[in-house]
Amino acid sequence: MKSILKKSMSLLLALGLTASVAVGCGSEPASQPAPESTAGSAASTEASGSTGGTKEFANKELNIAVFQGAYGRDFWDALAQKFMEQYPGTKINITANPKLGEMIKPSIVSGNPPDFIYLNDGDPSGVTKGLIKDKAIMDISDIFDSKALDKDSNIRDLILPGFLETPYCSPYDDGKIYLAPYNYGVMGLWYNKAYFDQKGYTAPKTWDEFFALNEKAKADGRALFTYQGIYPGYLEEVLIPAVYAAGGQQAVDDFTSYKEGFWKSEPAKKTLDIFSKIAGTDNALMKGTVALNHTQAQTAFMQGKSMFCVNGSWFEGEMKDAPREDGFQFGFAGVPGFNAGDPAIALVSVEQMYIPSKSKNPELAKEFMKFIYTDTAVRLNGEKAKAVMAVKGATEMVKEYITPSAYNCYKAVEDGMKPVVASLKPVANGSKINISDEIYKPFSSIMNKQMTVEEYADKLEKVYAQVRDELAKAQ
Amino acid sequence: MNKSLKKNLFLAACVLPALILFAVFIIYPTVKVFISSLYQDSGLGNVSQFVGLDNFKAMFQDDVFYIALKNTGFLMIVSGAPTILLALFFAAMLTSGKVKESNFYRVVFFFPSILSFVVIAILWSFIYHPTMGIINPVLHLFGMADLDIPVLGNRNTVMWAIAVTIIWQAAGYYMVMYIAGIDGISKEIYEAADIDGATGIQSFWTITIPLLWDILKTTIIFAINGVITNSFTIVRVMTDGGPDRDSEVLLTYMYKHAMNASFGYAMAIAVFVFAISIVLSIISNKVTGGETA
Repeated sequence: MKSILKKSMSLLLALGLTASVAVGCGSEPASQPAPESTAGSAASTEASGSTGGTKEFANKELNIAVFQGAYGRDFWDALAQKFMEQYPGTKINITANPKLGEMIKPSIVSGNPPDFIYLNDGDPSGVTKGLIKDKAIMDISDIFDSKALDKDSNIRDLILPGFLETPYCSPYDDGKIYLAPYNYGVMGLWYNKAYFDQKGYTAPKTWDEFFALNEKAKADGRALFTYQGIYPGYLEEVLIPAVYAAGGQQAVDDFTSYKEGFWKSEPAKKTLDIFSKIAGTDNALMKGTVALNHTQAQTAFMQGKSMFCVNGSWFEGEMKDAPREDGFQFGFAGVPGFNAGDPAIALVSVEQMYIPSKSKNPELAKEFMKFIYTDTAVRLNGEKAKAVMAVKGATEMVKEYITPSAYNCYKAVEDGMKPVVASLKPVANGSKINISDEIYKPFSSIMNKQMTVEEYADKLEKVYAQVRDELAKAQ
Repeated sequence: MNKSLKKNLFLAACVLPALILFAVFIIYPTVKVFISSLYQDSGLGNVSQFVGLDNFKAMFQDDVFYIALKNTGFLMIVSGAPTILLALFFAAMLTSGKVKESNFYRVVFFFPSILSFVVIAILWSFIYHPTMGIINPVLHLFGMADLDIPVLGNRNTVMWAIAVTIIWQAAGYYMVMYIAGIDGISKEIYEAADIDGATGIQSFWTITIPLLWDILKTTIIFAINGVITNSFTIVRVMTDGGPDRDSEVLLTYMYKHAMNASFGYAMAIAVFVFAISIVLSIISNKVTGGETA
């Protein structure tokens, strides 16, 4: 279940990314095509409209493969339609499937991949990971250094800050962009806004404030915190932002790259102390949390059994039929920092789009990708996929299509809540380590007070050492 | 062409389709499992490398594998035996003619068997719900608040809770099989025993059990091997192997590896599961005596 959630979440994220990219493309190319940018070798002929020109492409056929998940395929159908209208003579063939990875694998193996691929972040087929590993994805930095199709700024400047630099988009640390961000999702702590307003509480900005609320929570007959007990992987939504708050990007990089001594480092200690405190403080952890699945825990939170719960921007949509206490309102707090004045932090995940190196029609694929970063596409994506691309201003553009809580959540990130994007580096090929399970499963034991955070740190140091060994051997 | 050859050809033609289906859907995948277990394979068709018995070596050094093995064994014993005994008890009761509502109970007891495992698992995770469930409030009612622990969230109780769910699910199914068996036993035998002054319990042990033995043997094998597969769904839905690793069973652990690009290793676990099911079947068959079943 968690995996489904994760999938849809990453999907959301990816969608969000694309959205933000699309926003980059800014102003709506009203009636006539606006494409006027660099886009490779294509000869461009001046069009009459003031908005721009129509480019000619030698190869007018584009094969795109898109994951059909929670966001459906409507966006892609509508977008392709618009693209074909603006680029007369082009033809876009869409392959959309919930099991897209499995479906396109044979064509990739036989050297005949689609020209453009969008796969969800949690895709089980491993196609994206495999292509990254094989360096079989095209460098698309030039797209981001070119002008948006509908604006006078580079696409790079339209993307939300902090996204393009992450391993999601530039996996090799070489400053080049290989994967374009699509939708994104925002994760952190949620609270009942109506209850907070009524009582005059404010969302915590620091962990001290967070724990200080415990007394008030207790007086109101609720616990301080709950999470999706049997799927402790959700705790990454607290853990990673906390690591960032304690040690900055460097600490997050150490965490995702299995650096020796990370779990003994100051940032890790500070982070783990939060969990130890939640486990050890009376009333801090909602009774029975460890035994609950995600629906049960989230329902309990909405019924007022707990003051805070971790989850992502999909929360309201996911729980739309769930019972809740009177007047319940979703409020998103992000994750607190350690010092007064630190910005709140939100874990962010992103969906990726890319062009395989062996694409038969990279020129048109790149043009299509730029097209996704136009305002028209961002809106269309909001309307059809109910998702937000990782583009500045996307949240506002799709406001009418997404839930109010999701809007607030995305808006917070656009307005200065610090987005942290982190994904664990792949373990060695053939490794038997499920790193996510290794990291998050033991949190049940920490919460049950059957394992101390020191024991946890020792255990994880060993796991990290093993991962490093395997990676070194695989080199 | 002579007649017997013709007949044999005809028979072969009749058997062939089933044989082909059997080969494609049973033999081939099984063989494939054995072969895959010798490879380091992501399951993605990219690179697969022959590693001999490395996967098995790694398996026997894997702590979580032993937890999963222990838990699977625990379920076989703790849920297998009570399932059979309970089913026998119900069957005996409902065929004794002394329970007026026996038809009603037949339906009620059999009911769980027609529910999907996922439904059952969800149902029981609400029964075990630490605050909304029925267990913990009852404990409070009887003044045993100290025992109020989230059963699925505690390493000492989680496997027992899963075992109870499996028993609840399976007992009715075996009960129906035993009822069918008991109904097949001729009434005269019971009447004769009755006339000789045998008590109900005596005729149960000396008539019902021996005449039901073949069915019993089959169901014992079913119950043991059933636990291996049924526990997967129940555990996956109810605890996902948690808390921590405390309710991991062999198939959930295998699944996690198969979905984590260590397909070869997952298949090694699958081979192990295959082996223990065969061995257990042979043992239980030997212990219960005879070649049938």
